[in-house]
Amino acid sequence: MSATEAEQQVKLVSSDNVEIITERKVAERSMLIKNMIEDLGAPGEEPIPIMNVSEAVLRKVLEWCSHHKNDPAPTQDDDADSRKKTTDIEDWDQKFMQVDQEMLFEIILAANYMDIKALLDVGCKTVANMIKGKSPEEIRKTFNIQNDFTPEEEEQIRRENEWAEDR
Amino acid sequence: MSKAKAISAQPPPMPTNKDDINTTWTFLEWGVERIMYSLKEGVDLKTYMSLYTIIHNFCTAQKAVGPQQNNLNSNHRGAHLLGEDLYHRLNNYLKNHLAHVHAEMVKHTDEALLTYYNDEWKRYTEGGIYNNHLFRYLNRHWVKREMDEGKKDIYDVYTLHLVRWKEDMFGSTQNAVMDAVLRQVEKQRNGETIEQQKIKLVVDSFVALGIDESDSTKSSHDVYRQYFEKPFIDATTKYYERESEVFLAENSVVDYMKKAERRLDEEKDRVPLYLLAEIMHPLMKACETALIAKHCQLMRDEFQILLDNDREEDMARMYKLLARIPEGLDPLRTRFEAHVRRAGLLAVEKVAQQGENLDPKAYVDALLEVHTQYAALVHSAFAGESEFVRSLDNACREYVNRNEVCKKNSARSPEMLAKHADNVLKRSTKATEEDDMEKLLNQVMTIFKYIEDKDVFQKFYSRNLAKRLVNGTSANADAETSMISKLKDASGFEYTNKLQRMFQDMQTSKDLNAAYEDWCEQTFDREDRKEGVDAYYQILGTGFWPLQPATTPFVPPPTIVKTYERFQNFYNSKHGGRKLTWLWHLCKGEIRANYIKMNKVPYTFQVSTYQMAILLLFNDSEEVSYDDMASTTMLQKETLDPSLGIMLKAKVIQANPESAPTQSGTSYTLNHGFKNKKLKVNLNMAIKAEQKQEAEDTHKTIEEDRKMLMQSAIVRIMKSRKTMKHNQLVSETINQIKNRFSPKIADIKKCIDVLIEKEYLERLEGDELGYLA
Repeated sequence: MSATEAEQQVKLVSSDNVEIITERKVAERSMLIKNMIEDLGAPGEEPIPIMNVSEAVLRKVLEWCSHHKNDPAPTQDDDADSRKKTTDIEDWDQKFMQVDQEMLFEIILAANYMDIKALLDVGCKTVANMIKGKSPEEIRKTFNIQNDFTPEEEEQIRRENEWAEDR
Repeated sequence: MSKAKAISAQPPPMPTNKDDINTTWTFLEWGVERIMYSLKEGVDLKTYMSLYTIIHNFCTAQKAVGPQQNNLNSNHRGAHLLGEDLYHRLNNYLKNHLAHVHAEMVKHTDEALLTYYNDEWKRYTEGGIYNNHLFRYLNRHWVKREMDEGKKDIYDVYTLHLVRWKEDMFGSTQNAVMDAVLRQVEKQRNGETIEQQKIKLVVDSFVALGIDESDSTKSSHDVYRQYFEKPFIDATTKYYERESEVFLAENSVVDYMKKAERRLDEEKDRVPLYLLAEIMHPLMKACETALIAKHCQLMRDEFQILLDNDREEDMARMYKLLARIPEGLDPLRTRFEAHVRRAGLLAVEKVAQQGENLDPKAYVDALLEVHTQYAALVHSAFAGESEFVRSLDNACREYVNRNEVCKKNSARSPEMLAKHADNVLKRSTKATEEDDMEKLLNQVMTIFKYIEDKDVFQKFYSRNLAKRLVNGTSANADAETSMISKLKDASGFEYTNKLQRMFQDMQTSKDLNAAYEDWCEQTFDREDRKEGVDAYYQILGTGFWPLQPATTPFVPPPTIVKTYERFQNFYNSKHGGRKLTWLWHLCKGEIRANYIKMNKVPYTFQVSTYQMAILLLFNDSEEVSYDDMASTTMLQKETLDPSLGIMLKAKVIQANPESAPTQSGTSYTLNHGFKNKKLKVNLNMAIKAEQKQEAEDTHKTIEEDRKMLMQSAIVRIMKSRKTMKHNQLVSETINQIKNRFSPKIADIKKCIDVLIEKEYLERLEGDELGYLA
């Protein structure tokens, strides 16, 4: 992608029909949009429908993309090691993810739909950090989950996972 | 482009139920169909995004729970990934699609088939790229999971396209496609113009179909190799086998080589045009086999004719061709070697007709000429290749050491070469330019390299050098040192050690003479000094100089006795305990003939000491008898007669009676009427018989020296090894002295026996020999 291509503007349309204009380079953090432009060419004035994402979420996603627009493209190996294993999140991303739970899940779903792997990872790590160090009861409380296990089931699960208990 | 069925421009309705496979697939099939067939007309953004979204939605739909997208409270999520239905429906779609394409494909043949194949391939794979993007969500999740779990027949969507093509299309069409390709290539080889791009596309598609079953991110060239490379190579071999046979039936080998060379270049150039670089090696090999190896016997037979006619360019061509096949050159080298040897022997035979008086220069030039000619050929036609250089060396070694001239005596070659070197280095009437001198010496070294009996050369060379130094006939001291350093480079320090010592002695003598003059001035007064004769002395170390004491007794004339006794005193005072032996036969002097009154300036005779002794006898009496001469000088007849002979011939003395034989009873007088154009008359000429004798003596001493060389080598080896097997010792000895001469095994055995007798060695158990300190 040449410099002028990177600075091109693209028009995105959210599921609730709001047009958002952004840099092509920012939009192309999404593999969906990147592949689409690769296949169909630069869309110019024609808006790209992002059918599964609402305006609020799309803006949030684009904010993240904008901040990360100069990150190097992920390589195949990245998947395998460091990023997966650690739940460390860089400061900016941590602040970015300080949103209510509903928004957090919307971001994750949007990242999955739009194929933005790095954002999906950050979202999932954030959730992981919310779980880390908590008892089942606390987790249920955090995510508003009903306990539908019988006491027997619960005991069995506890036994099976005893080895993983942090003592 | 074929259309299987008309595609509606209008999409079917978007599925309302996300997990309903039928409505979902109806929509998707419409989209995929458009992509496969109407890509040129374009796919609009909305369709594109709809297709992607539908696939996404289908894969993320939660059958059990219903449309509550955001509810994460589902314990089945993650365990079950949706998409299998989509994958199989796509697979079936592609099967059907390709069945239509295949039905069309078989209607085409030859060039039209190529066009059709390429167009369809291009359309199909371009669509595949689109579909791969649209089905990316399926790739990312369902396909990835299946592959991670090790399912063998699940591929990402693009690879699925390739797999289908390979299985539903390729197997049944590749033969026809390849036939078409090969016909095109044959046309091109026959000089027609073809559309190379078409072949290149076929190559690319065959390469793309090399799907690695175990890892779709990797590709292998197996398909390409089996279905393209192999038939291509086979066709190439057949084509050139046929062509070369036909061509050779009607044309000369020389013309054939030109054609073969051109063909090889053409094939090499063909590769980057539309083939894969990796075909270069097998293609060249096939061409080389068909064009060269199959006909190498013919070429080799031609080689002799080319050699005989100096067809350098054709030989170079043949070299380049045969160098390409394994062991292609060996027969050429053998023939080349034999040819050079023959040429060398022939050249020597020609000059050998001069018989006994063969001019060393003519002989060396004959040797050189052949070497120079064929060394140039090796360089120009055979790329200076080291194996050919070796063949040349082998041939030269043969004809230098075993030729007509050496037939009777193998030592003739080194002897002639040494004589030639002597002539080059000797002062002659024509001064040699420094550059020319260097060139001449290098030529000597060229032949020297091939001489096997290097010890013989050394012998003669050192004798000649001794003479040049003693007689002061060396042309140029720089040239002498240059030659010695060349010999040293070639054969080592030991080889030239004595030669260098001879030079040292000359310098020491110079210093000594100066010291002697000073000593004389201090020791004697002027009158006393006048009684002496002006003289220059050379002190030569016995061990280093190849000089023999005179064979005849001699009483030096009293006139010089006082002079040399003075020097002897001086020398003894300086170096007590050293014995000076006078080599009278090497001394010379000048005598002024004051008795000849006709000239105002008296003649000066340059004479040997022997002649001097004879002439000085005439100071005491007008007539001297042969017997008096013999008794006073004590010279033996063999020396006296030729010394007199020269003076008689030059008419310095006269026999009485006139022309009486030189023998007892004859007497001699001085010729007072002697006349000569020059004022200095040289009577000190080397005597023919003496020269010949000397050469024979030299040869004789060589045998002795060789025995010494072998014995000292044996002792050296045994001293370091202590014990050794007999055979080992023999081969080690040969190893150590082969750069001097090639010893015979029988001679070495004799030497071992001598050493056992002298108790240097002893026989031990078995075949062992032991060293006795």
